Amino acid sequence: MTELTDNLALGFATALTLKNLGLCFLGCMIGSLIGVLPGVGPIATIAMLLPLTFGVDPVGALIMLAGIYYGAQYGGSTTAILVNIPGEATSVVTVLDGHQMAKQGHAGIALGICAIGSFIAGTVATLIIAALGAPLTKMALLFGPADYFSLMVLGLVFAVVLARGSVPKAIAIILVGLLLSTVGIDIETGEERLTYGFNELADGLSFAVAAMGIFGFAEIIRNLEVKETREVVQAPIGRLLPGAKELRQSAAPIARGTLLGSLLGLLPGNGAVLGPFASYTLEKKLAAEPERFGQGAIEGVAGPESANNAGAQTSFIPLLTLGIPPNAVMALMVGAMTIHGIVPGPQVISHQPALFWGMIASMWIGNLMLLIINLPLIGLWVRLLKVPYRLMFPAIVVFCCIGIYSINNSGLEVFMVAVFGLFGYMLVKFGFEPAPLLLGFVLGKLMEEKLRQALVISRGSFMTFFDRPISAILLALALALAVIAVLPTIRKSRDTVFQE
Amino acid sequence: MRSTPQHSPSRTSKRLPIRSPQDLAGGVLLLAIAALGLIGSWHLDFGQFGGVGSGMVPKAVSVMIAGFGIGLIVQGFLSSGGEQMAPWSFRGLFFVLGAALLFAWTIRPLGLIFAGPIAIVFASLADRTTRPLEIGIFTIALTAFCIGLFSFVLRLPIPVLPSSLPYPLDAIF
Repeated sequence: MTELTDNLALGFATALTLKNLGLCFLGCMIGSLIGVLPGVGPIATIAMLLPLTFGVDPVGALIMLAGIYYGAQYGGSTTAILVNIPGEATSVVTVLDGHQMAKQGHAGIALGICAIGSFIAGTVATLIIAALGAPLTKMALLFGPADYFSLMVLGLVFAVVLARGSVPKAIAIILVGLLLSTVGIDIETGEERLTYGFNELADGLSFAVAAMGIFGFAEIIRNLEVKETREVVQAPIGRLLPGAKELRQSAAPIARGTLLGSLLGLLPGNGAVLGPFASYTLEKKLAAEPERFGQGAIEGVAGPESANNAGAQTSFIPLLTLGIPPNAVMALMVGAMTIHGIVPGPQVISHQPALFWGMIASMWIGNLMLLIINLPLIGLWVRLLKVPYRLMFPAIVVFCCIGIYSINNSGLEVFMVAVFGLFGYMLVKFGFEPAPLLLGFVLGKLMEEKLRQALVISRGSFMTFFDRPISAILLALALALAVIAVLPTIRKSRDTVFQE
Repeated sequence: MRSTPQHSPSRTSKRLPIRSPQDLAGGVLLLAIAALGLIGSWHLDFGQFGGVGSGMVPKAVSVMIAGFGIGLIVQGFLSSGGEQMAPWSFRGLFFVLGAALLFAWTIRPLGLIFAGPIAIVFASLADRTTRPLEIGIFTIALTAFCIGLFSFVLRLPIPVLPSSLPYPLDAIF
């Protein structure tokens, strides 16, 4: 316990310098500003803003990025409540009751309870990370290459289960992601793979470029297809701070949402997206009058928003302890860390304790800052959201271009973004969900490396994946999940969860 | 992910028994990707399991993708109640992606002061409701804002002014 407080003290000492506080503030501000724009989710926001952190030292850069991430998340919720548009998959649930509340003139309270719930969830999740970080890191040292490989297989199977639409398509799209990760020079033999003679491809495809094309540009084009039906709430925003009655109603949903979200965020393969859905379903089941849900029930905002934020935060754990990014956002974090010379994994905590604990402390500070800065800024967001999309999207396009160009000062990367934009658009039109592709792309290199190491150690025997207890358990879990995914009854109930 | 493809009853046609055009197109796309993967890794050594070569993963993955592609194509012909293709927005594709290509092409020789407005105006054509005067004023304001924010405040090393005149066209990459 004293170790935990010592570590947190070190973290706060690192994060509470004037410069790092300023970076955290700046990150939260710019992150919310971009995240509020309809159709721009956290992935596109982070990819766009990545270059902003290049001039800063590693600790400051990660603190700022974490701020951008939370800001983008909160900005998405703001858009979901004020406009009937979810910025990303995880705020789909918030739209249901949050927008109804806004229509009834309670937008302020909905946003307020969002911020308060997120802050409470963030506080608990920060403590969980601080408590679990060190022991999990020690456990990670027991992991051999075969175990790592099996864990990533589990993560990918999980991504298939979570993907909407057909299972074969989800598997196929993950394989495409794995294939994309092999582009570039092979680390072991130095041979060029899938470069087709282009020198520029020798370093491999950039993850930020793929993410920006598939989640930024493809999304803009799809938004243009939908007839502009954006109605910013006309009703007054109302008071921001919830009263005693609302707080009493939300307390239990916030607690349950926090718990659910934290647990689901720990899972590999982007379990965090499940949090809001699970929380909403749970609250509706537990409610005395379930018919209030969908009509502006405050529990339907408080629970899912807390779950969302808790999951967003605990999904840092697989990255910080094992070095495995569980979702696309964390993969972008890996990219940012690599640029600053940090290799995420169990060694960070022992070699760079100030960085590790400073980042954890800044997560909490970032949450607090969002609570403070966002409530007074709601008026500004409302005005920003009234800007018509015909002006907003050219601005988003040019921000994306500047952001991607600045990562490597490369015009070719902007060109590649357009290629990925076309590809992402085709995927959606052909009924593929693009999120699993990015996960396959993210995990591909590491999976191949671990596969090759494991097979060298076992002299070519695949039995090594079943002989090692950790690996065998993980593969058994993956198999069980896969079976569950194809069972028709469970598939049906999964679909209803997503439809709600 | 807002665009949910609509379920529509499959058309029955004697000449083309394509039940699910979406699956068929998806399968063809997967086959094309698999072909690209195989071509790009053809020269690489597959190796053995004890010493995996650089070609094993790309080749194996490509073959698996091809398998799923064939499966989807078969499903496109056989499945009942398949999904129709949603209409494509070629206007959006052309102008939005074109704006990015123009930016990539012009940023180094012309600098943000010209590349920015070119991209903004070109992208704005993707929307039919764009008004010339409005977008003109907006472009000037947005370009000034971008130069101020990215170049002066954040100090990103993005070229603001044209590098040289006349500019060689191959200076972009």
